[in-house]
Amino acid sequence: MSFGAAPLTPVRPDFLTRVTPAARLAAGMTWLVASIVTLDPVVPVRLTIAAVVALVLWSGLPLRRIPRRLAPLGLAILSLTVFSILLAGANADRSLTALAEFGPVRITAPAVSAGLAIGLRVVVIGLTTLLVFGPSDPTRMADSLVQQWRLPDRFAYGTLGALRVAPFMADDWGVIAAARRLRGIRSPGVAGRIRDAGDRLLVMLVAAIRRAERLALAMDARGFDSGIRRSHFRELRVTWRDWLTIAVALAVAVMAVALPR
Amino acid sequence: MTSLVIDSVAVGGAAGPPSVDAVGLGWTYAGRPAPALRDLTFRLKPGRVLLVLGPSGSGKSTLARALAGLVPHTLAGEWKGSLRVGDLEIERTPARFLGERVGLVFQDPDCQLVMARVDDEVAFGLENRGRPRAEMQIRVPRALREVGLAGFEPRATGTLSGGEKQRLAIAGILVARPSLLVFDEPTANLDPPGMYETLARIAELARRREHTIVLIEHRLEAALPLADDVLLLDGDGRQLAFAPAGSIGRETAAMLEAGGAWVPRAWQGAGPGAAAGAAGAAGAAGAAGYAAAWAGGAAGAAGRTILPGNQLLLRATDLGLSYPADLSGERRALDRVSLEAHTGERIAIVGPNGCGKSTLLFALAGLRRPDRGTVGLRAIARGGDAVEDMRDPARLGSEEISARVGLVFQDPELGFVARSARDEVAATDRAIRSRGRGGLIRDRDGTVPSTDADGVLARFGLGGLAEQDPFRLSQGEQRRLSLAALVLRPPAVLLLDEPTFGLDRRGTETVMNLLDELRRTGQAQLLATHDPRLMPHCDRVLALDRGRIVFDGPPEAFAADPPYEPADPWRDGSIPAETAVAAEAAEGAP
Repeated sequence: MSFGAAPLTPVRPDFLTRVTPAARLAAGMTWLVASIVTLDPVVPVRLTIAAVVALVLWSGLPLRRIPRRLAPLGLAILSLTVFSILLAGANADRSLTALAEFGPVRITAPAVSAGLAIGLRVVVIGLTTLLVFGPSDPTRMADSLVQQWRLPDRFAYGTLGALRVAPFMADDWGVIAAARRLRGIRSPGVAGRIRDAGDRLLVMLVAAIRRAERLALAMDARGFDSGIRRSHFRELRVTWRDWLTIAVALAVAVMAVALPR
Repeated sequence: MTSLVIDSVAVGGAAGPPSVDAVGLGWTYAGRPAPALRDLTFRLKPGRVLLVLGPSGSGKSTLARALAGLVPHTLAGEWKGSLRVGDLEIERTPARFLGERVGLVFQDPDCQLVMARVDDEVAFGLENRGRPRAEMQIRVPRALREVGLAGFEPRATGTLSGGEKQRLAIAGILVARPSLLVFDEPTANLDPPGMYETLARIAELARRREHTIVLIEHRLEAALPLADDVLLLDGDGRQLAFAPAGSIGRETAAMLEAGGAWVPRAWQGAGPGAAAGAAGAAGAAGAAGYAAAWAGGAAGAAGRTILPGNQLLLRATDLGLSYPADLSGERRALDRVSLEAHTGERIAIVGPNGCGKSTLLFALAGLRRPDRGTVGLRAIARGGDAVEDMRDPARLGSEEISARVGLVFQDPELGFVARSARDEVAATDRAIRSRGRGGLIRDRDGTVPSTDADGVLARFGLGGLAEQDPFRLSQGEQRRLSLAALVLRPPAVLLLDEPTFGLDRRGTETVMNLLDELRRTGQAQLLATHDPRLMPHCDRVLALDRGRIVFDGPPEAFAADPPYEPADPWRDGSIPAETAVAAEAAEGAP
């Protein structure tokens, strides 16, 4: 029974699917840094535009399915933005004119700007993550980090194993909720709900740990981490595409920050 | 350490199949009071196939783990005696260095595939041993060919069927050319077609005589013809017998049966050696017995107006449900499914994996909204003599729905809601009482006071475990607890997803007996199952294929003419044709 969404995988090969994952990660990092170093909303707006262009033109991902996948993130961004605006310190500054006033609540222009900047930053992080991890499967990412960045096998492939268990957790969560509904278990009130959620989480974690243990046994039985230096079935070659990707991403990041606002 | 690596790598593969020698082998997992294995002593000759038999908890999997070196090297515990694979003493050879000598295939295909792509998955074991890429590029496709997965290289492992996943797992160990193959219930999680294709591969490996094979498999009809030798364990991990498969007689069969393991029908009467013959006789006698038990229970409750079959409890009309498939647009999960279930009726829902069984159960429970069609469920009113109105489960509150429908999951753990077995049994009753509602919920026969959780536990064989955390129970105990939790407030319709999955004969019988007890309240039961042995215990069989009902009728008619290919395993879990050939070949071998 599948409650979790199918992973978002490329439907066709495209420029970014041919770039090694480590290079995409390096390129993505320039944008993350750029979106963090400034406090106004202009830089994240520029980076958002760039990210959308890259997604549409070069990612090979099924565009129609992206909005639905990002919907939960969108909700988080919206609430983050709204609260950042409402709770900004600038609202208390009586020397600033209020854009809007509802009883005791004042909203000022600097508050809106700061709130949007925070929300948009998360948009940039979300889209960049999609560009970095979307165009190839997690195995490629692990291979790439081990081969190109010399990350320890145990860390990279261990994380990969954990990623394989993750979709089951989403399914489990749905099953656990269903079981509780049919058993008539629902504690009254907010405190009850929080307790229920905690119980569900515990059950899910227990199930996930069992799965992870079994997977670890299977990996050990096949000689993982045997002290022999691992070889690699799939060689990842650094090509001109990698360098071009990093160079373009860096240029976009610099322009997003440096161009007049 | 380094010298060990070089030794094992150098010895692996080239030397031909190894012998397996156990002398006084014992193992106790850390933190467990009782040993999992006690004093095993046997010698399996090179190139032979050993079938390991025993009930749940007899240490079969522990032996498999020991052969692969996971016990004692990855798992903690106390080791006794000696276990040698060829010239390697397991106790002194860590699991990871045994990889080229021993290959282990586990039960659950989803918990042994590491990589996202098929070819990467096969290469994983070679990468771990630092094999050069050129060699891997030759060996990976060859291993895939060996298990019939040629051309599957670029496929995502997540998109494979259960049988394909298990064959892929076999390719993943064959690629390292181990000389000892260990299969730990490799078909337990598979549907009949998957079981068939996996067993056919194992049969082929057995026939080639290039490996020593240790097979743990509770579908004996299929596994026994492959075996040269049989190792029999009891419920406490003791060795009852080690003998050539042909010499297994009534006495041994009786021991096995008493231990609670599945015994092939041939052994139940025909005596030694005839295992392959008696495939056809379906055990339809069970159905009448169950119906009689039901009638007795119902008659005992005086003044009941609800009798077996006279009240409609569930009606699904024209259900259609689809969800987006990965790349190919829409895949229909349910297609114009209509069905009814009456009081006391037990219906088996069968079909290959992905046929829509689980989706149907979820739709019937109101957990998944169908795109079209309707579901109606009735509750049996307090006192057990009337039924409530038909209601759509998706629109009901949690307390109303629990009176109408219950769902027992394949993995009972996910359904547990309490920290002790006693609270687990009382949870629904307590939740309903605490809301001051209960009018909808019927009494059970009046024999059990509604708060007597301990009484329920005792009747379900969980008497001493009231304080136990449900997560710490054994698999069989968990399954019983998941049913015990439904007794105080029995739902009118009970849906079960593979209720006997992974259980031995005793566990299966216990579960079926408990279902009988629940059924005496008038409950209708729908069982999604792969196990053909349950069919005689059902009143009707409903077969699904690609979301459609392709058969609806009595179990005898289904057994006579199953609507699936390959049909063989459906008949009674019998033997694929090739394996019979392998058995004959084995007879001739020295």
